[in-house]
Amino acid sequence: MINILIIEDDKNIAKMIKATLSIVNYSGSCCYTGREGVEEALKGGYDLILLDIMLPEMNGFEVMEAIGSCGTPVIFLTAMQDVADKVKGLRLGAEDYIVKPFEALELLARIDVVLRRSNKTQEIIRYYDITVDISKHTITKNGSPLQLTPKEFDVLVYFLQHQDIAVSRERLLSNIWGYEFEGESRTVDIHVQQVRRKTGLQNRLITIPKLGYRLESQENK
Amino acid sequence: MKLWQKIFLSSLSLVIVAINVISVMLVNNSHRLLIEREQSHAINEYEFFAASVANSVIYERLKAGKIMLGETEVEQIAADAIRNLAQSHSGSALYNSSNQLVECENFDDLEALPAYGEYLSSLDVSDGNYYLKVFANGDKYLMTVFSSLTLEGKSYTAVTSSDISEIYQLRSRQTDTVRQISIITAGVISLILLISVIVLLRPLSRINIYTKAIADGNYNIRIKCRGSRELRELSENMNAMADSIESNAARLEKIAEDRQTFIANLAHEMKTPLTSILGFADLLKIKKNVSDKERSEYAGVIVEETKRLRSLSGKLMELITIGSTESEKKPVSLQKMIDETGAALTPLLNKNSVTLLCHTEEITINADEELFKSLLYNLIENAVKASLIGEQIKLDASMHGENAVISIQDNGIGMKSEDIKRVFEPFYMVDKSRSRKAGGAGLGLALCAKIAELHGASLSIESEPGRGTTVYITISGEECV
Repeated sequence: MINILIIEDDKNIAKMIKATLSIVNYSGSCCYTGREGVEEALKGGYDLILLDIMLPEMNGFEVMEAIGSCGTPVIFLTAMQDVADKVKGLRLGAEDYIVKPFEALELLARIDVVLRRSNKTQEIIRYYDITVDISKHTITKNGSPLQLTPKEFDVLVYFLQHQDIAVSRERLLSNIWGYEFEGESRTVDIHVQQVRRKTGLQNRLITIPKLGYRLESQENK
Repeated sequence: MKLWQKIFLSSLSLVIVAINVISVMLVNNSHRLLIEREQSHAINEYEFFAASVANSVIYERLKAGKIMLGETEVEQIAADAIRNLAQSHSGSALYNSSNQLVECENFDDLEALPAYGEYLSSLDVSDGNYYLKVFANGDKYLMTVFSSLTLEGKSYTAVTSSDISEIYQLRSRQTDTVRQISIITAGVISLILLISVIVLLRPLSRINIYTKAIADGNYNIRIKCRGSRELRELSENMNAMADSIESNAARLEKIAEDRQTFIANLAHEMKTPLTSILGFADLLKIKKNVSDKERSEYAGVIVEETKRLRSLSGKLMELITIGSTESEKKPVSLQKMIDETGAALTPLLNKNSVTLLCHTEEITINADEELFKSLLYNLIENAVKASLIGEQIKLDASMHGENAVISIQDNGIGMKSEDIKRVFEPFYMVDKSRSRKAGGAGLGLALCAKIAELHGASLSIESEPGRGTTVYITISGEECV
């Protein structure tokens, strides 16, 4: 279970982040002041810290300096959009920088990137009879390997990592093909169909009209 | 043309003209005196000549023993006499009544002059006066004396001439000398003038350099100037100007900075609720299963944060429109306004179990009633927020000398002195989380300060952490009726 520390003075935002994390089964604990955050972070046991910059008592940069030694990756969350602040944050050793306001999936995507970089993500995902090994790039169904193209593989992994979440075509496009990709959402549809056909997930990877796709989670069988 | 050039050239030309005029006058004066001396000398010579000729004639007549000599004889005798009298440096001539030359000696230069002939023929010497005239022949100047001479009853015109070229040469020599001297003097004077003008005006060019530097934006430069009093005054005034420019520039910078901070704070204040709204709305959209409890919780937060945004925009509008719209001030009783504000606050007071004790004197002030009530409302609301359950807030309105003073005193949490300095800044919150919980955006006191300013009143705060806060509204006597 991924454990994330949220240091954010606005209680509603902290609550929102916690709820967002819960949909990918990450647990979050909240601290509302910089000092409290430093104490909590130094106790350890966290895979990632989400750190606001404008905090009472100690600001985010000071917190960053204080916890720099503990080795936990940090993502800054801030309303400030100044490039200088961004640079300062990254130079202090932050992994990423998210400007408020942000969408839930953007936050999750950034968290995933950072977690993957620090090898904190699950390397092997099991879903019913399907087993995916991300590091080996292999996929087996009932023990027999399936042939998926790299993009199809990425699409499947993305859905497995975001179970029960309605994922729009645009979100998939930007996450799998990258923001620069100028393809149409038709490309996404074809890939999703291929994934469904090859994995036999027609009933679980469902189309949500107007929104996109959703992979039903295992628990809600 | 530059000022120093103007001063220099005009004084130089004035000096040269003066030197020349004076020296020319002196030279001419001495020349005139010399000429006058020569004139009397020439007259003496003439008289000697005339007397000698007349005497010779008389002598010859006596010698011949005649009563009267004939004209030819007279002329012969006179001619002899003239020849005998001849001197190297002067000439002489005798003409008969029909202006025909009888005899002349040393007179070739004059006889050759047409001007002389004309003068002689136009001259009538019958009145016996001496006629003096100077004739110039080349560089030779001859002074002539004409007069009538009666010999044996017949009148003749006798002329003597003397060479006065020396006098004229003297004058031209003197003129040359004067010219040389005036050129040298002018040179010396111009040098002295140039140096003194440059030295006197040098502070001006220094002032110029400094002024240029100030104009280029170095407002902290001050002119240091020694020199004449005018220039010192000028530099002092320039310094005063630079002072005011500097302070104005600093003021404008401060305003720009404040505005920048205001906008940055505003953006931050807007983004915080927006983050919650966007986040929870997104969760409601993408999550498959949202329990009723979660839905009402998420929606609750969205509503709460939206309200915060609404109150923020409302406060902002108020803050912006207060200064720009014309407020209608009319005499209104302070007592009435305080009572009405107290009534409007009753629900809040009851909710927090805080009592408001009012003591008001009969005071009438010129005020925009709605705005002033909103000022009182904001301040009392702040006092309520700072107070603990069961505490009291004391409001006192009374005259202090000419001014009306309203004080609002609570025994609440108070604040530190560094906070007091900043509470009037927009978006400044002493305790962010506490004030957010109460739905504040940190604009209340900024609004109060603006309303007070509009009423010619000042706000001051006394506070101590843990002891409570007192806010004073001091309304100047001019606004009291």
